[in-house]
Amino acid sequence: MKKYWKSIAVIIGIILSIGTFYVNSAISAEHYPVLTVQTVNGDVEEMESLIIEGAYRNLSSMNYLGTDLKITAQGSSYNSPSLLDRVTGYYPTVIKELKEANRSFMRGKSLAANQYFEDNQFLAYANIDQKISSLGSSKFNFEISVLNKADDEVNSFTLKVPVEDGLDHVFLEDVQLVKDKIYLITQNMTIKNDDFNDEKRVYEIDRISQKLTNQEALLKFTQWKESLHTHIQLVEGSPTAATEHIIMVKTEDTVMEDTESTRVTDSKQEIISYNLASKVTETINIPGLNLEENQLSFVKGSTIYFTRVEEQELIVTPYQLGANQVEQDYRIQLRSTIDNEHIESPIISVEEDKLYVVSRQIDSNFNGDVAVVDIKTGEPLFEGQITLGNSSEEHGDFEIYMHEISVKQ
Amino acid sequence: MKNYLKLVNFEFNRIAKLFAVLLGITFVMQMIGVIVKSRQYLNIVNENIFEAMMSKTQFLEQVGQLSFIDIARSIWFTAPIAICAAGIGFYIFLIWYRDWIGKNTFAYRLLMLPTSRLNIFYAKITTILMMIIGLVAFQLILIPIEMSIMKAMVPDEFRNDLNVKELVVSLPQLNLMIGSSIGEFFLYYGSGFLVVSILFTSIILERSFGWKGIVAGVSYSALAIAVWLLPLFLHEFVLNGFFYPMELLILEIIMGLIVLTASIWFSRFLLMKKITV
Repeated sequence: MKKYWKSIAVIIGIILSIGTFYVNSAISAEHYPVLTVQTVNGDVEEMESLIIEGAYRNLSSMNYLGTDLKITAQGSSYNSPSLLDRVTGYYPTVIKELKEANRSFMRGKSLAANQYFEDNQFLAYANIDQKISSLGSSKFNFEISVLNKADDEVNSFTLKVPVEDGLDHVFLEDVQLVKDKIYLITQNMTIKNDDFNDEKRVYEIDRISQKLTNQEALLKFTQWKESLHTHIQLVEGSPTAATEHIIMVKTEDTVMEDTESTRVTDSKQEIISYNLASKVTETINIPGLNLEENQLSFVKGSTIYFTRVEEQELIVTPYQLGANQVEQDYRIQLRSTIDNEHIESPIISVEEDKLYVVSRQIDSNFNGDVAVVDIKTGEPLFEGQITLGNSSEEHGDFEIYMHEISVKQ
Repeated sequence: MKNYLKLVNFEFNRIAKLFAVLLGITFVMQMIGVIVKSRQYLNIVNENIFEAMMSKTQFLEQVGQLSFIDIARSIWFTAPIAICAAGIGFYIFLIWYRDWIGKNTFAYRLLMLPTSRLNIFYAKITTILMMIIGLVAFQLILIPIEMSIMKAMVPDEFRNDLNVKELVVSLPQLNLMIGSSIGEFFLYYGSGFLVVSILFTSIILERSFGWKGIVAGVSYSALAIAVWLLPLFLHEFVLNGFFYPMELLILEIIMGLIVLTASIWFSRFLLMKKITV
């Protein structure tokens, strides 16, 4: 036996040390703060179908990896990233659900939610394939797949993107399907004689004949013109939010550049809508609604929802696109925004005649608000707070950022 | 089985000294590192608070607390890990060549043993694995000791305590060594085992055919790695991302097992028929 002591000692050492490590990490893994929803007013049943998703981060542990969490009426549940999640990275819940429901259709497709469209009949997907030839010129192709849910048939086809002179990049921003027409909204960048130009463009593709039937430049702009910086952001709904209205926010910043710093001296915002059916672009002018104070937060069908926080109240202003009129505000009492620095406009969502409001951030010191409001009457159906359940336990500093709220039908 | 265990023990005793030296270097350098880094930090504390009259809260805001991560990122901590890795890399070759090079060709006696020659292969690869995992295990024992030294040197309010798990998750180089779950541990060391077995086969090829064997060995390694990673290449370049991550992982594990079997079988063939002393 004496001959073997070194090997035996090393093997025992290995088993004890590594065993202890994994046993310990399995035991110590679970000390996330337990969050519960507490009713202040109304019926908690109203938020039964609401799912709040966010990321938890422990500020004192130096661990920069966040942990995903979900908050529902039942409380919080954490989902620490598994080995596979860490290999594949994070992707949105919408994509996860699409993958589970359409396993074979989703094979080899991108993980970006804006490349999908879904309604009761169809699931459509588009992608832009750019091939750069040895001479530096590019060829672009649309790769389109449409799944017909009725007969489970998949139609996939590729179309050449008509290339104009100097086209350098095409970014796909949104996919819509309205009455057998697939609409791809893109941002195209052209470089001609060192001039950089951008445009928002919409391509109309017939689903049945699989041909490009129309294309139109919505807006042309230059990102940098001396000190003027322009960018246009497409307001995206979820892929399941079919809409005929494409809403864009155009921001023009005048930028002062010193030797030391750059700062924005003047900022102008404009909201532009494009109607896919009537092909009309219009600038939305809302009298009495200051865009610097009001933030465009949500679009549902032909209604745009603006939000602003005033003292302890969230004011949600709906605007009807077709009728061009502002409707009655909703006022929601906020209980958690204690200091002014923390005021960030909450996340809102409208689903089935209910307006859902959730605070964007919760941390060791601040609770979060949840509210459900009846859209028709403006009456609050439920008001509550997301609070630390086991506050007696030590948690250190943590913060939770909400990034998505969804309503299960 | 008994012969295999005896051979493992024999091989391990031969490297026990090198192993002890690596453990020693790690222990000494990391201990010095903990003390030096804690001292450095305490000096900064003294300079700012007692000489520059900064308040404690102001200091903590500007400089921050000392965390074991700061120590683990320093050269004192990482250099011994690198030395150990290099030492093992070197010994993967030496474990074969030391039998051929030397006063009396030991390989001759080894190959003449009344046991399957493949047992030599198994014993050598087990020894390498024992060394690697042994060093990792030693590091895991060392970290809590080093943390308690830091705790003893730096007062409470100036340090940010974390446990071993948190440290491992925060540092990529440690995470690669231990993984944050047992599944990762098997994946990492399984891949390592496969790579070492491919290297061993190449070394045996060289021992069998000399210069020609080097060419054969390099080609064999390239081929084995290519076959192993074939699903990944297909997925990426031919099939346009056809597989789901889980499927890809399973395919890679299957391919790995196939390549491992092929490598061992090929080594067995070479050891039985082609090897020369």
